[in-house]
Amino acid sequence: MASSASLLELQRDLENKANDLSKLQKDISKNHQIRKKYTIQLGENELVLKELDLLNDDANVYKLIGPVLVKQDMAEANANVKKRIEYISAELKRLDSTLQDLEDKQNNKKETILKLQQKIQSLQAGKGKA
Amino acid sequence: MAESVKGTVTSLSSLFPVEEAQKAAKRVEETISERQKQLDQLRDFAADNNTLINLVQRLPDELHHDIMVPFGKAAFFPGRLIHTNEFLVLLGEGYYAERTAKQTVEILNRRGKALEVQVESVKALMQDLKAEASFFDATASEAAEGLVEIREDYIEETSPKEASMIGIVKPELPISSQAEDVSHVKDEEYDRILSRLAELEKEEEEAENANQEELGSDDSDVGPGHVILEEEMKSLELKERGESSRFQSIEKFPDHWHVEGSKATSKDCLVPENCLPENLAYGKFNLTENAPTEPQAKEDVEAPVIAETKADGRPSEPQFDSTKAFTGSIVEHNSDVNSKVQSVSRSSKPVSRFKMQRK
Repeated sequence: MASSASLLELQRDLENKANDLSKLQKDISKNHQIRKKYTIQLGENELVLKELDLLNDDANVYKLIGPVLVKQDMAEANANVKKRIEYISAELKRLDSTLQDLEDKQNNKKETILKLQQKIQSLQAGKGKA
Repeated sequence: MAESVKGTVTSLSSLFPVEEAQKAAKRVEETISERQKQLDQLRDFAADNNTLINLVQRLPDELHHDIMVPFGKAAFFPGRLIHTNEFLVLLGEGYYAERTAKQTVEILNRRGKALEVQVESVKALMQDLKAEASFFDATASEAAEGLVEIREDYIEETSPKEASMIGIVKPELPISSQAEDVSHVKDEEYDRILSRLAELEKEEEEAENANQEELGSDDSDVGPGHVILEEEMKSLELKERGESSRFQSIEKFPDHWHVEGSKATSKDCLVPENCLPENLAYGKFNLTENAPTEPQAKEDVEAPVIAETKADGRPSEPQFDSTKAFTGSIVEHNSDVNSKVQSVSRSSKPVSRFKMQRK
């Protein structure tokens, strides 16, 4: 029977698509988490920058690297934090664009799955009648 | 569903299945509890911050503190804190700065403020969520009760897509009650205005009587009858100011006082309407000072005020407002000391006219 063969094929197709969709959703949620982390870091870095700006030039600043505190130059620390903020902002932008991409893909997948389901249903109905 | 000629009746549960509404409500509740946790955490942070601030403030009071130093998880050994005014403050991201106690407290205060801002934002979020939850709950219970939605308007078909319309239909009740509220408020306001008007009228009458009885009587009673109640306060204020400055000018410049007064007026009042009462007050004072024996002059200055209040719809004196108001301002701007007499004579002219009109 040709119709039953096509039906089987369609069902397999649907399964594959569903798997893809769940993968995409996982990716999106992962992306969201990363994004959240970065936003928190950005806030922290901005706070640090504000505090560093308020410090005197001759203040002692240390950076915790592993278990040791390493003394740092004020200017150096300032530059480092600024660079970090830049990096995080760029990263956030990148994440936003990928997120947008993923969501578009997800929507497309959803649509195709819906169409497949309808096809299968109509096929089954036709079979029932026949 | 009963279809009639005029409209449609849709049971709410067909638009919103009870389970669906309950599910939605549940989900919102979950988010609320999540936010609550976040809020609690933030509050903990704020409390920690406050205790830390207290500690940091107290530490430099002594040169050293005897403390028990934690050693591992369970052990302590006696120790002593020295350098009580030196702190290594974590700024975040692994950066530390050496600060004094005072500077540390400043940093901590800033941090506390940031925390407060966060707490406020979370609170606002929770309020929104709560409103949403209550909406879902209401929908669920209404759907469960078998409430029906009746539509009678020119929309001929109620398609499932219009389900969202119910959100608009329902809040109509609160809106209408709000409208009632507004009208109620308006009534109250109206009453207040009326009572205020009556008060002013009485005041004015009293003032008039007082003026007729005695010339030097206080002129602050002159009714500040303004049509617009909003301006009332302003004008009262202005008048008070005018009076006070007037007394000042009396003290300082007994001879040139009304020159000084007119200056103050022009400075104080940008809008001519607003400075009317003040002008009047000046004009009046002017007249009483210069021509204390002329009761007509007194009445003349009174006139503009009456004319002004006429717009309130109360029984008033002859229509003379523009002329009177003008005379007042003429008096006002005769800032020359030499023209004192002139101003009196000028102002007394319209007075006689006014009197003629009255009689």
